Amino acid sequence: MARNRSLSAQARNLLAVMAQGGSRWHHGYDLCRRAGIKSGTLYPLLIRLEEQGYLDAEWRAPAEPGRPARHAYRLTAAGLELALDNPPAAAQRPASGWSGKFA
Amino acid sequence: MTRRAAMLIVWLASALLPAPLRGWARAMSAETSAIDRPWPALLFALGCLGGALREALRFHLLGPAEGGASAPPGSEPPMPSPTSLLDRPRHLAAFCAVAATGLGFAYMTAAGAPVRYLVMNGAALTLGLLIVAALARTPRPGRVGRGAIGLALAAALLLVGLLGVSADGATRWISVGGLVLQPGLFLIPALALAFARSSDRISLLAILVAAAAVALQPDRAMAGALVAGMAGLALARPSRAALAALAAAAAAFAVTLVRADASPAMPFVDQIFYSSFSVHPLAGAAVLAGAALMLVPALIGVARDQDRRAVYATFGAVWLAVILAAALGNYPTPLVGYGGSAILGYLISLVALPPRTGVSVGAEREALTAEAGSESDTLYAALPARA
Repeated sequence: MARNRSLSAQARNLLAVMAQGGSRWHHGYDLCRRAGIKSGTLYPLLIRLEEQGYLDAEWRAPAEPGRPARHAYRLTAAGLELALDNPPAAAQRPASGWSGKFA
Repeated sequence: MTRRAAMLIVWLASALLPAPLRGWARAMSAETSAIDRPWPALLFALGCLGGALREALRFHLLGPAEGGASAPPGSEPPMPSPTSLLDRPRHLAAFCAVAATGLGFAYMTAAGAPVRYLVMNGAALTLGLLIVAALARTPRPGRVGRGAIGLALAAALLLVGLLGVSADGATRWISVGGLVLQPGLFLIPALALAFARSSDRISLLAILVAAAAVALQPDRAMAGALVAGMAGLALARPSRAALAALAAAAAAFAVTLVRADASPAMPFVDQIFYSSFSVHPLAGAAVLAGAALMLVPALIGVARDQDRRAVYATFGAVWLAVILAAALGNYPTPLVGYGGSAILGYLISLVALPPRTGVSVGAEREALTAEAGSESDTLYAALPARA
């Protein structure tokens, strides 16, 4: 089956970080920092995940008044499954306390 | 200043992304502006530029993603689309121009160039793309009309040498509202390519006038570009007209070699092939990569489109000469350095490239007739088929 083929370490880290948040919405910069990836890697991954139905993306109102709206992301059920099937390698787990379980 | 540079870079990233991904461009922009500290915002924006470049390449070379859960991130890419960027020389050249200018932004940002320089290059890029779009929609002028336009442009170049702004013994600039432009950088490539498209007598006369103009200014870089362009044309499609143009351009170049040209090097404009490496090896690599990108449309066109090798050869030779001049002397480094004239020149010159490759001239004309309304095709129909 194609889905277990050649997911990059960065993709696995990103999936892990997003899966940890469960249904919570994430922002791009926060994902970069928590997954330890650059924005130039993040957005192509998000684009791919969204195209393939693993990611929900929507514009969210700013937390503080006067700030611009931001694009936010969370995994779909298929995305959570993909994350479970593709955990980060032990040496490359994101620094945010990956436990192998999703909240 | 740093934040402005970040927003400018992320704007460029937005411009790179193809239309179906524009929502992501807005996302990058919003996220960059939400980052409080300027340097992290700049780094984030630079990353976005790289990501956008990658996505744009993927989109244009491979076609739009097919989507579907059977193709997870990291899986094998789909087969190339039959209408990929490689088959659309103008789109490819425009893409290379945007990417090269973006690499120039990266270099100038790393080198601490004034934000005004980045803004100027960005404005020139935007203006150039608008001019290309407008030219592509312009109705076809007649044969005499085309020759007259070429001759008028060559005469304008001659006037620059007589009435333009002088500095260090050279008179090759004009001042437009306080903005100094070097018309040779957009007129010489345009005239050389117009001659490559249609080597009639009026176009030849325009080349002779242009050769006299660059000798008068003097402008060794542009004279060299004209020689190189005519040599490329004569090699790809030998003719008496091409040889006559080559001889005139060579004579003009010889005059510029004899005349003194002692313009000093300007920061972020001249000699940056060397100075960029002292900023950072990656900045130097960005400058070299940007310059190399400018030649990609010509190389691909020569390899894939035998019918129009002369046009691609002229295009490649002209811009290679401009790049070499920047490497060898104190002449503007096109696209990757500060200077809007070269950006405008490169973009205007790409209009001379055909909109499609791999189709015989006759078949293409039939296809163009059937595809009325396509912007680039309309322009190509406006140009002579012989190339």
